[in-house]
Amino acid sequence: MDDYINISSEEEDECFSDRESYDGLDNEESDSQWVPPKPSSIKVITKESILAAQKEDLRRVMELVSLREHHARTLLIYYRWDAEKLFSVLVEKGKSALFAQAGVPLVESLDPDTTLSSSMVMCNICMEEVSGWEVTKMDCGHCFCNNCWTEHFIVKINEGQSKRIRCMAHKCSSICDEAVIRSLVSKRHPDLAEKFERFLLESYIEDNKMVKWCPSIPHCGNAIRVEDDEFCEVECTCGLQFCFSCLSEAHSPCSCCMWELWLKKCRDESETVNWLTVHTKPCPKCHKPVEKNGGCNLVSCICGQCFCWLCGAATGRDHTWSSISGHSCGRFKEDVVKNSERAKRDLYRYMHYHNMYKAHTDSFKQESTLRETIREKVENLEKRDPSARDFTWVTNGLYRLFRSRRALSYSYPFAFYMFGDELFKGEMTEKEREIKQNLFEDQQQQLESNVEKLSKCIEEPFDQFPEEELMNTRMQVINLCVITDKLCKKMYECIENDLLGSLLFGIHNIAPYHSKGIEKATELTVCHTSKACNTGPAIKPDDDINGCTLESYQPSGSGSSDQSGCSSRKRPRMENFGGAFFDLNLPAEVMEGN
Amino acid sequence: MVDIARVQKELQECNKDKDSSGISVKLKGGNTLTHLVGSIPGPVATPYEGGTFIIDIVIPDGYPFEPPKMQFVTRVWHPNISSQSGAICLDILKKEWSPALTIKTALLSIQALLSAPEPDDPQDAVVAQQYLKDYRTFASTARYWTEAYAKSSSVGIEEKVQRLVEMGFPEGMVRDALNAVGGDENAALEKLCS
Repeated sequence: MDDYINISSEEEDECFSDRESYDGLDNEESDSQWVPPKPSSIKVITKESILAAQKEDLRRVMELVSLREHHARTLLIYYRWDAEKLFSVLVEKGKSALFAQAGVPLVESLDPDTTLSSSMVMCNICMEEVSGWEVTKMDCGHCFCNNCWTEHFIVKINEGQSKRIRCMAHKCSSICDEAVIRSLVSKRHPDLAEKFERFLLESYIEDNKMVKWCPSIPHCGNAIRVEDDEFCEVECTCGLQFCFSCLSEAHSPCSCCMWELWLKKCRDESETVNWLTVHTKPCPKCHKPVEKNGGCNLVSCICGQCFCWLCGAATGRDHTWSSISGHSCGRFKEDVVKNSERAKRDLYRYMHYHNMYKAHTDSFKQESTLRETIREKVENLEKRDPSARDFTWVTNGLYRLFRSRRALSYSYPFAFYMFGDELFKGEMTEKEREIKQNLFEDQQQQLESNVEKLSKCIEEPFDQFPEEELMNTRMQVINLCVITDKLCKKMYECIENDLLGSLLFGIHNIAPYHSKGIEKATELTVCHTSKACNTGPAIKPDDDINGCTLESYQPSGSGSSDQSGCSSRKRPRMENFGGAFFDLNLPAEVMEGN
Repeated sequence: MVDIARVQKELQECNKDKDSSGISVKLKGGNTLTHLVGSIPGPVATPYEGGTFIIDIVIPDGYPFEPPKMQFVTRVWHPNISSQSGAICLDILKKEWSPALTIKTALLSIQALLSAPEPDDPQDAVVAQQYLKDYRTFASTARYWTEAYAKSSSVGIEEKVQRLVEMGFPEGMVRDALNAVGGDENAALEKLCS
């Protein structure tokens, strides 16, 4: 019964309405349907919500280390927005080391500026006497005239160093107060101040390991933030599905490295070249590749030149079946033969995997057009049976077909690299490789045959079937859905644990399998502090602290220790978190937390 | 725009204690303050001792918020200075520049660089290799270069070669010998005769 739990559709409602089809569900599972689905942990960050997203992290640091916002930002930029890392440095090395490294002054100089304002001050940069009103003292205590500060900021912003503008004093590594930069620069170059503002904001995306721009072209303007696991596949609100780790199309169970190599291999003409080296020889006169289509070893090119097929040297026309007059090349060149044998073998190997991969991608493309016909069939069925029976098993079946077809097609490039020499030569013995390959191919083939069956069932004109046969098809589709889902899951687990997990060299991570497909990112919910956030970063830091609400914010890391308990491997599996169902394998406190 | 007032002040300031520091900065010629010439004495107890090193200084538009561009005119054998172009590899002339630094402090840093090379961050890989693997040869080459290029009497080196060649020694050997003893004519003669 457990297997049924993982069958869900893109639309959760659709799945609920299919309750009928799982007549055997016991109470426990029915209960779970009433739990409101937890929103996806993957968030979309738009131009509007980036500020709010940044504030969350800033606030956490401000509260825990008790400092002002611009110092919190300096710290976070230095630690690439990894608050956990920042806290661990704080615990291990202490506040002073943490601050010194990041360029935050430990003790702010508290001399009131008024002592300066009355007298004239010598600015050490322009070497002029200026009135105390026209100088600014940074948190590190260094004081220079406003003109010089402004010049310095402008040069640094133009150099693209907005995120970390250091004090002008020699060997002072403290970072300048962004509010001072903002106000001084905007007096002279308002557009440059805006640029500075944007750099600071976008640092949250550019410097943050867990946030990346959506790779859509033309760009949708969104960024995606993940939690816990950067090896995952996501769908942006613009509809683009991609691998978060390498930003190319979703390619699991291929690792990013394998996928990159595969794309390059498919794009390159190197395979064509391989074929040419195996099957043709260049004409010694016109250098066009010539393929021998039969006959003796004297080959004549279309340009008229004759040459010996064995050694490729130009010859005369005069020849018999076994010899060419005035030519002898009986000498055996072992390495030449070896190389061409090898090239031939590699080529056939690649061709096999590429053909399989291509066949499945092509089927996937063809099946995508099924969506329309399936809709018609369902309509026909609904017309036929006015009692409005539930036909979501059809769409669920189609969806399951897409999902498994995808997994299947990307499993071929995976196998090409997993069992080839290119990446893992020396990782395993010939024997081990054979065992592993058999294990994997068995699973792959099982999945393949079930996917084909499912495809056949779905393509059948079941809307024309008599009632009994229709019920049979329905049962078959539902069963095949369960089987393919299970097989996909098993294949991913085999890849992750038995194949990639046991590698000695090189780390290959793949996005975990999600029954319900690639996770859709949800809009970041802007908390009630949004009003304060929207007024822009120009607001006083103190106002900010007051405006912050604690309840709205849950530190993302607090659950991490609990979660690690549920994972046998290096990464916690988040598979069922986003769905409507409980994962019964999770400890209770994690369930409550969500 | 270059801060003319500041450059002028720096020049005055620097030339005030020219005699004690040995460091001087002059206008390159013409009346522009954007192209200067600095000179620093080779630090004592180094292969550069006794030499006077001329440095070409270009003041960029953004000065003092951008670093001045400095380059050796005098040829010098040093791991952090290109033996070909005279380019200097010094952090404060690049990303560690601070507007609070001056032309004089930059020249002082270059002088410090002459006494404390950093072969792990080389500008001239050949020199750096030699410095690390064969310090003696490095030191004598550096001394020879100082003798040959950084001394007002360094025209003399060619004359020394000339004289020794006239004594009947082949030119290659003469140069090697002079090189090995750091340009001292008598020592070279002894070496050649031995």
